This record gives sequence, C-alpha cells and structure tokens, in this order.
Amino acid sequence: MAVQAGEKVLLTGPSGCGKSTILRCLLGFVAPEAGSIHIQGQPLTEHSVWSLRKHLAYVGQEPDLGLERIAHILERPFHYRANASLRGNLQRVPELFEQFDLPQSLLDKEAGDLSGGEKQRVALIAAVLLDRSIFLLDEATSALDKASKQNVTDYFRTRDDVTALFVAHDSEWFSFADQMIQVHPDRGERGTT
Amino acid sequence: MTIVDIGNWQLAAAYLLLAFPLAIMLWYRIPMVGQTALALVRMTVQLIFVGLYLQVIFELNIIWLNAAWLLIMVTVADVSIIRTCSLKLRPLMLPLLAALVAGTAIPLLLFVGLILRRDNLLDAQYAIPIGGMILGNCLRADIVGIRTFYEGLRTGEKAFLQSLAQGALLHEAIRPHVRKACQAALAPTVATMATIGLVSLPGMMTGVILGGASPAIAIKYQIVIMICIFSGTAITVALGLWLTAKRSFTPYGPLDRTVFRAS
Repeated sequence: MAVQAGEKVLLTGPSGCGKSTILRCLLGFVAPEAGSIHIQGQPLTEHSVWSLRKHLAYVGQEPDLGLERIAHILERPFHYRANASLRGNLQRVPELFEQFDLPQSLLDKEAGDLSGGEKQRVALIAAVLLDRSIFLLDEATSALDKASKQNVTDYFRTRDDVTALFVAHDSEWFSFADQMIQVHPDRGERGTT
Repeated sequence: MTIVDIGNWQLAAAYLLLAFPLAIMLWYRIPMVGQTALALVRMTVQLIFVGLYLQVIFELNIIWLNAAWLLIMVTVADVSIIRTCSLKLRPLMLPLLAALVAGTAIPLLLFVGLILRRDNLLDAQYAIPIGGMILGNCLRADIVGIRTFYEGLRTGEKAFLQSLAQGALLHEAIRPHVRKACQAALAPTVATMATIGLVSLPGMMTGVILGGASPAIAIKYQIVIMICIFSGTAITVALGLWLTAKRSFTPYGPLDRTVFRAS
C-alpha cells in the first residue's frame, strides 16, 4: 500500500477488518506482524518513530480530551519540545473555531461538559494547530451533523499540502477521497480507486 | 530514668483488654473474629521472633549483619509493593529495590552520620529502628505512588497515546501521571506533618520518652525523623516511578501490558 504526498485516502472494509489498526501501526502503537512501514521515505523504527510522529496528526472517534478547560487542552501539546516552536499557531484558534462552527465561549468550558460532536471538532482543531503534513482520521466526524461534516471536508479540500488517511462511513468523505482502499481481514489491503 | 520492663504475666494480662473488641464483634456479629484471632497470633509470633533476632543483632552489632538485616527488610518491602500493585516481579523487582535502598539509605545515613555523629553509620541501636521507620513509610508511599501511576495509565491510556501522537516524548507523556502519583504518595506525610503532636503523639517521640529521655530531646528526634521520612518517601517514589517506567513501556512508547500480573 502506498500513498502519495497530498493524497486523500479512504480506508474501507467491514468492522474489525483492521482499518483503525493500520492507522495505529503508522503511529507506532501497534507493531505490524509482517512487512514494514515507511513515512516520507524513512522506515518506521523504535528510534525514528519519535521524530516521524512530528509529521503525523491523529484524531480518533471518541477523543479523550481529559477534564481541563478547552483553552488549556489546546495549549497542552505546545509544552512538548517537538511543538514548542509552533506556539504562535494558537493565534489561529478563533479562526478555526469559526471554520468548524464552534462558539468561542467553548474555550472556557471544561471538556467534560462538551457533547461528542464538540469534542470531535476540538480534537480536529488541536490536530490542525500542530501543522502536521499527514492526518490520520479514524471516524473523526462520526458524531457530527451533515453540515458540520461538510465544514470539515471543505477545510481539508483546501489543504493540498496535507496527506490524509481516513476511516469513515459517511458520503461526505466518500466524495472527498482521491483513492479508496478496501481492507480485507485476512489478505490485508487491496486498492481500488 | 530507665524504661520499666514488662513481665510475662503483665504482658499476658494486656491480652485481657481484647475482651472489649471481641465482645463488640460478637455482639454485633461482625464477621471478623477469625481474622482478628489470626492477626493477633501472627503479631505475637512475628514480634517474638523479630525480638529474639534483633536481640542477637544488637548484642553482636556487626556492620555487615546490620546491613544484611536492613537489606532483608528492603527486599521484603520490595516484593510486597510489587505484589500489592498487581505487577510482575521479574521486570520491576530490581528497579524498585534500587529506589527503596536510595529512599531508605540516604536519609538514614544523614541522620546517623551527620546529625547523630555516630562513627559507625550502621550502629544497630540507631540504624535498625530508624531505618525501619523510614522504610515502613517508603513502603506505604511506594504502594500509593506506583499504584496511582500504573492505574492512571491503564484507565487513561487513550489520552496518554494521544499525547504521544501529538509529538510528546515518553517523559513528557507520562509527566501528568508522575505528578498525580507523587502527589498521592506524599500527601499523607504532608498531612501528618501538619497535625503532628496535635492529633497524636508520634511513634519515635513516644519511644524516646519511654526510653528515658526528656521530651525536649524527644521532639528533636521527632523533627529529624519526620524530615527523613518525607525526604525518603519523595526519593523512593520519584526514583521508583522513573526506574520502573524504563521497563514498563515498549520502545515505541505505549504501555507494555506484560508488566501487569493477570488478575
């Protein structure tokens, strides 16, 4: 399986076939039983994984944001050494909140008070703020209504510089994908366009 | 002033006091009578054996024997912490042993050498009771700290992995869990220090007074032992978390679940 820079790739297949596992393998959270993974030409190893993660952004179906205020949650990744130089990106928060149809007042709320859809959009904004070139989206908009899903796909449509691998079951994402890859539980992936 | 010995008959008479808790248990049918009887027998037998053994150690007062006794105590504490926290002995026994030795030895040697100015740093009269008090507190703190850390990681694994996915290094991703574990482990000692002398007379002070010293001397011992206990628990918990963490994660970052004992 190969994905070119800038491509938007949808992983499809029945439940339990390994779509999410592929994304987790790319993050180094699951070791592949066979084969190897290369990201931007570099093999994913126990040494390279720490620097390769600086190219990746991951948003899951049920993001665990913790219990803190949203403003603090968005700031947290910038305390990590890898993201320290990107701290200025926090200035884009108001613009991204507008883009993803979230009220600014949400910044002062605690994560526990947010709905599933709001949490997903906050997790997406947190990922976007990190300026990564590869997005791994695992049913990242499953709790959103049609209009909000459209907002998200519209945003990524404008980002030619971003590669995205995503798992989704919604029509918005199907029409958005450049390539669809069918994942089979026994045989691994088989690509279709 | 010297301490009054307790005769065997007088010691036996002390057991008569147990009539009160036993009567309460029987009256209210609290299902703890068997458990209590077993605990009393264990307490008596264990203390008789320890008393006999310590008597020999105190009379001989050989450095290596005193050190060996302290090491046995530390090893028993080590195994007890790992078992209580449902972790596996093999990968974590040595790192935690090192943390317990550091947490006990550093304050103990400073107390005996620097403050009491004893030539023999492992003098049985001082090293064994003081070491025992520090170690007992290190054991309690490590159980709270290690358990809080690993349970927090287990229940909050999704958030921990999200931190790694956002580019955190391992030490950055586990920092909130280390902070929470240290806080949980140190809080009881901080609370004890804040109320000491008001709520109860502390153990060492009581012992020193019973041993024949004046309360003025006893409080000085108590202040030093509290500082030693607090420092020892901080050292052992921080070091214990750091050293065990080195063996508890895969090279890619996620928690290595093989360190947990199957429940």
